[in-house]
Parts: sequence; C-alpha cells; structure tokens
Amino acid sequence: MIKVLILSCVWPFLQVAATLDDPAAEARAQDLMREIRCVACENEPISQSGSEIAADMRARVRDMVSQGYSDEEIRDWFVARYGAFVLFRPPVGGLSGGLLWGLPFFLFLAGAGALILQRRNGSLIDEVEAVAADHPDGSGE
Amino acid sequence: MIEAGHFLACLSLTLSLGLAYAGLRGDRGLAGRLAFGLFAALGLSFLTLINAFLTSDFSVELVAKNSHTLKPLLYKFAGTWGNHEGSMALWCLVMAGFAAAGAQWMRSGRPDFEARALGVQGLLTSGALAYLLFASSPFLRLDQPPLQGADLNPLLQDPALAAHPPMLYLGYVGYSFVFAMAAAGLMEGRIDRVWARSVRPWAMAAFVPLTLGIGLGSYWAYYELGWGGWWFWDPVENASLMPWLVGAAFLHSVVVTEKRDSLRAWTALLAVMAFCFSILGAFLVRSGLLTSVHAFAVDPTRGALLLAGLLAYGGGALGLFALRAPHLQGGAPHLMVSREGALIGNNLVLSVATLTVLLGTLFPLVAEAFGQALSVGEPYFNLTFTPIMAVALIALPVVQAWSWGKADWTLVWRWALGFLAVVGAFMLAGVALWEIPLLSGAGFALGVWLVFGAAREIWRRAGRVDRLWRFPARVWGMTLAHAGLGVFTLGAVGETALRFHTTLALAEGQSVEVAGWTVQLDDVEAIEGPNWYADRASLTVSRAGETVLLQPQKRIYPAARMPTTETAIHSFGTSDLYLALGDRRTGEGAARWTFEIFINPMISLVYWGVCLIGLGGVLSLLPRRGSGADGGRAAG
Repeated sequence: MIKVLILSCVWPFLQVAATLDDPAAEARAQDLMREIRCVACENEPISQSGSEIAADMRARVRDMVSQGYSDEEIRDWFVARYGAFVLFRPPVGGLSGGLLWGLPFFLFLAGAGALILQRRNGSLIDEVEAVAADHPDGSGE
Repeated sequence: MIEAGHFLACLSLTLSLGLAYAGLRGDRGLAGRLAFGLFAALGLSFLTLINAFLTSDFSVELVAKNSHTLKPLLYKFAGTWGNHEGSMALWCLVMAGFAAAGAQWMRSGRPDFEARALGVQGLLTSGALAYLLFASSPFLRLDQPPLQGADLNPLLQDPALAAHPPMLYLGYVGYSFVFAMAAAGLMEGRIDRVWARSVRPWAMAAFVPLTLGIGLGSYWAYYELGWGGWWFWDPVENASLMPWLVGAAFLHSVVVTEKRDSLRAWTALLAVMAFCFSILGAFLVRSGLLTSVHAFAVDPTRGALLLAGLLAYGGGALGLFALRAPHLQGGAPHLMVSREGALIGNNLVLSVATLTVLLGTLFPLVAEAFGQALSVGEPYFNLTFTPIMAVALIALPVVQAWSWGKADWTLVWRWALGFLAVVGAFMLAGVALWEIPLLSGAGFALGVWLVFGAAREIWRRAGRVDRLWRFPARVWGMTLAHAGLGVFTLGAVGETALRFHTTLALAEGQSVEVAGWTVQLDDVEAIEGPNWYADRASLTVSRAGETVLLQPQKRIYPAARMPTTETAIHSFGTSDLYLALGDRRTGEGAARWTFEIFINPMISLVYWGVCLIGLGGVLSLLPRRGSGADGGRAAG
C-alpha cells in the first residue's frame, strides 16, 4: 500500500522525462503532438499546452507510438474519443472535407486554365507582333 | 487633460467630415489644409492619452484597467496602444497621418483625383473616429479612481510588442490610403498609368511596415510564448497574412498597369481588397469569433460594428468597381509567355493563397454553423498553402527574365533542367549526408534556387560589374526582396526539418547531454523586478570550445495575476539553442526543475529573410536617380 502511494507521488516526475528512447519514434510522436489539439485550451496543440489533460494526451501519443500503432490509427483513436475537433488536420472525406481540401487546388487549376485559354488565339499573336515591331525595345524594368 | 483629448477627438471627427466633403467636391487646397488640421488635432488628442498613461492617471478608466504605477516607463508608454480603445485611437491617428502625408506628398499632377482621394480618406477616418468615440472611447473618467491600476497583460510587456502594433497598423491602415486612391480613380473612371505610378509608393509604404510588423509579431511569439515555434497558423496570424498577400499581389500587378497600361480593373480591385482584408482582420481579431492565443481585446458587439463598417466600405467600393470595371479594358496586348503573363501568374498564386488562408481560417466557423466541430491548423496549411506558393517560387527565377509582350519560350527547358539538377542534388545530399526527408531536401533546393535566381537576374540585366551600381534603387529593391524570399525559405525549411525538442527534469548541480550540448543546471534563485518576481534558473551550456550561461525565467506579475515564461536563447551561427523554464517537481530525492529545450537550426534566416524583403521595399521607395533613360536602357 505504501509502495503504491510513493509510486503515485513519483509518477508525475517520471513522466516528464519519459520521452521515447528511439529518436525516430520520438520525432514521430512530436509531429503527431503538433497536430492534436488540446481539448482544454484556446487554440493550442498538445505539444505546447501546459494543461494537465494535454500532458495526459501527450503520454497517450507516446504510448501508442511505442506500441507500434500507425499515425492513422493514433489519429483515429483521438477522433473516436474527442471528435474531429481534436485534429488540426481536418478530415478529407465528406462534403466539408472535399470542399476544404479541394477548393484551393480547384481554384488554382481553374484560374490557370482560364488564363491559358484566354491567351490562346491566333489574332492575339499577330497583334502582339505588330506592337513589338513598333517598339523594338519592348521590355522595361 | 483627458477632456481636452476628448474634445480634440470630437473636433477631429468634424474636421474629417469636412475633409470628406471638401475632398469629394474636388477642392484640393482646402482638403489638404483640413488633412493637416485633422492630423494635428488627433495627434494632440493622442498625446493626452499617452500623458494619462505616463502619469498613471487612474481616474481615466482605460489607464486604471491597463496600467500600473510600477510598470517600466517604456510599457506605460506602449501600454497606450496595448488595449482595444488605445489601439483604435492609434488606428485613427495613422489614418489621419496618411491623409496628411498624402496631402503633402501625392504627385499625380491631377488635383481633382488627389482631392477625391483625400476625401475618401476623410470618409474612412470619419467612420473610424465615430467608432472610436461612440463604441470604444478611451477618454472616459471613473467616478472613484482606484489607487492602483490592474496592469497591462504581462505577455505584452515586451520591447518587440511595444513596436509591433504601431508597425502592423502602419501597414493595415496604410492600405486605407491605397483604397482611397483606388476609389478616387474609380470615381473618375481613370485607372491608368498615371494612377498606377502615383499609387505604387503608397502601397509600398504600407507593405514594408506590414512585413516588419508581422515579422516582429512572429519573433515575439517565438521567444515570449516559450513554445519554440515562430508561426502557428493561428487565426490572428492569418488575419495579418491575408492583407500582406493581397498587398504583395498588388505590388506586382500595379507594375503591369504602370508599364503597359493593362490589367487596370484587376489592379484597382486588389487596391480595394487589401484594405477590406485589413478590416476583416481587425474584425476577426476583435470580435472574438475565432479562438486564438493572440487575441487580447475581445468584444462581440464591437465586432458587429466592425463588420458593418467592412460591409459599408467594402460594399461601396466594390459597387463602384462593378460600375466602372467594364470601361477599364485595354492596354498593350501580350501573350501568356511574357512579363505580363508572369506577373498575372504571380497574382493567380497569391490570390489563391489568400483565399486558402481565408478558407482555412473561416471554415471551422462555417462547419460549426452546420453542427460540425472541427479544427484547421498547421497540417492543412502546409499541404495546401505551401505547395501552391511553391509553384510561384519555383517559377520566379525563370519568368522574371521574360520581356514585356512576348518572351522567348525556348530557354525555359534549360531552366527546368537546371532546377531539376539543383533539386536532385539537394535531395541526394539531404538523404545521404544530413539524413533529412526528401521533401526537406527539395525545400532547401528551392531556397538556394531563389537566392541564385535573384543574383542571376540582376547580373543578366547588368552584364558588367560597373553597371550594377547604376541601376535604379527599384531594381535593387526587387532583387533583395526576391533573395529575401529565398533566405526565408531556407530558414523555414531548415527549422522545420532539423528542429529538435525535448523536455528535461534537472536537479541543481545535475548535468545532461542533449544533441551535442552539455546542459548543467547550476542553481535556481528567486529574483524581483519592478512589477514582477521570478524564478531564474542559471544553466551552463557548453560544447567543444564554447560555454555560455543561460538564464531562463518564469515570472509572475502579481498585479495581473499572470505568469509568463522568459526564454533564454543562445544563438550560434544561424541556429538557436532555446531554453524555457517549466515547473518545480518534488519527488524522491532533490527537487527537480523541468525545462523545454529546443535546438532550432537556421531559424535566424527566417527573420533575415523578412528583413531583406522589408529592406527591398524601402529601397524601391527611394526616388529615381537623375539618369532615368540610362536605368531604363540597362534594365532592358
């Protein structure tokens, strides 16, 4: 009984330095901690937060990494427990995911496509060449 | 005293309404005089506010809420704008300052246009002043002044944060004058080369302080928050990034309008949008709509007023734009492969990047409205914003050599091969020598590519060493800014790929090996400052031939009842060894202190890059030297 009491006192201090021994695994754990949101704070990943729950969540990430779970499995575990809110990497699936992840690339490709189509006609080339002939020094700064 | 300030602010509102009236009627002379009067009255009013803070006049509500007699003088002074009301007063003052500067230095040769621009600026200032006086007055007295103030948020008691808001506001509010000039040009239906030439310096005058202001804010977050990072994709950071991106797009498109008289509608639109994004930023930050670690003055009702202002000004200007845009066609024709095409490509990337930041920032709000709680953070922006921006950065060294109208397309293949060679070399070296991921190697290659590209471009234009010194400052400005982008990229990639972080628990006298450094905790002592007390750890940090003493602190500000971390940073080369003091842990044996220790390689390149971009902007503001023809020739 006394042993248990002592252990429970020592536990938090042991936990501080409990980084993983394998540097690659530790780096993976830290990357994950940067994208998991502390559920008790304003807008901080658990890698930064000083709150108790964040410390527990960090310990959980390290645990799962050392037990050989994949990044995806760890993210899923946190989402199942706290909801999609907990990930700074919003889910890709569904309407909202498609919109959020797809829109930037769609806008970029659509914009580029529209610009290229607009400039691809023969008369324009003649026109530019006519102007260039008028002003041989067609460049500036 | 403060009543005099209040009176002067009311007088300023009258003056700015007068400025709006005189300016919009086209009276350049009267508008100019009113602009000077406005700036003087508001300046004096702001001085009474500063005075109240410096003398700790706690009968003024704002001072009682945000100051303290024991606060160091610098922070009493800077505390004037370290709160919502004071910062809005600063906002108004900068707006009036731009009106006065415009009255003095606008050179378009079109008095009607200048008068209208001043008039619109007067209109904008009236709105801001009305908001200041009626919704967030800093001039209120307390019936029963307290003996002591509640102190400024200690996180803000920092030299970088004293300079950060004025810088940021010079940028945000500077775009109000660009907006005013765009509105004036649209009213006249004359968005042309003369217009472009007269607006460009003002856009640059806003862009440079905005760049430096964002840099300062980021540097502050780096060493004050104790998290070891410098950019968190936090809504408040995003709010300042959006006007910066739009402003950068404008600086590129306005060149097309100035040189070739084309892209006129688009340039005018960007001029309007830069300021709209500034107000949107203020709205997002101040309304408390988005949760953020940086938001310090939050009030939803004020948010509603800011939103109304945004809709009124933005809507008005966009309406005007819709009316005039169809008449703003024309200019010299060009093909896609031309300097115009390159600058349009730049604008496409910057616009999509801005919309991506906007989407990522607002999406959680929209999702919440549909009953879905989610977070958008760093991983999202790294996978969307970053690759889209990378397209522009890869292309930059190639396309900046393109000439106006129609460029030589055939050289592109040689450039593409060159780029692939650089990327391949860095990826190989990255994997084989530095043990970093392939993508980080490619990131380094991109940084080097940009610096090389900037040097290559100015050499291409010069061809001879002695010609380099005869370029207009503007060419050097562009070169430095583009090189700065490369330096920034190197720093950002280096820090992300190579950073090291761990948490230590040390007892006094204990030492430990971390990433090649020996870290020894000598002692931890209690110390006291003017308005705080702290635990200060002394650590001897050493590696071969190098020993330094680092003293991170954990401070308590009793008046504000808030702790802060004061990190200790040892810079070596471009890298930082960064220490933040954590808690004291008692357990078995001696008490231990926890430390967060970060090694941040190449981090100073991030800040040097930002400085170079700012310096490039300053250079391009310098007036042209006499022999303009020669400069133009050399640049051809």
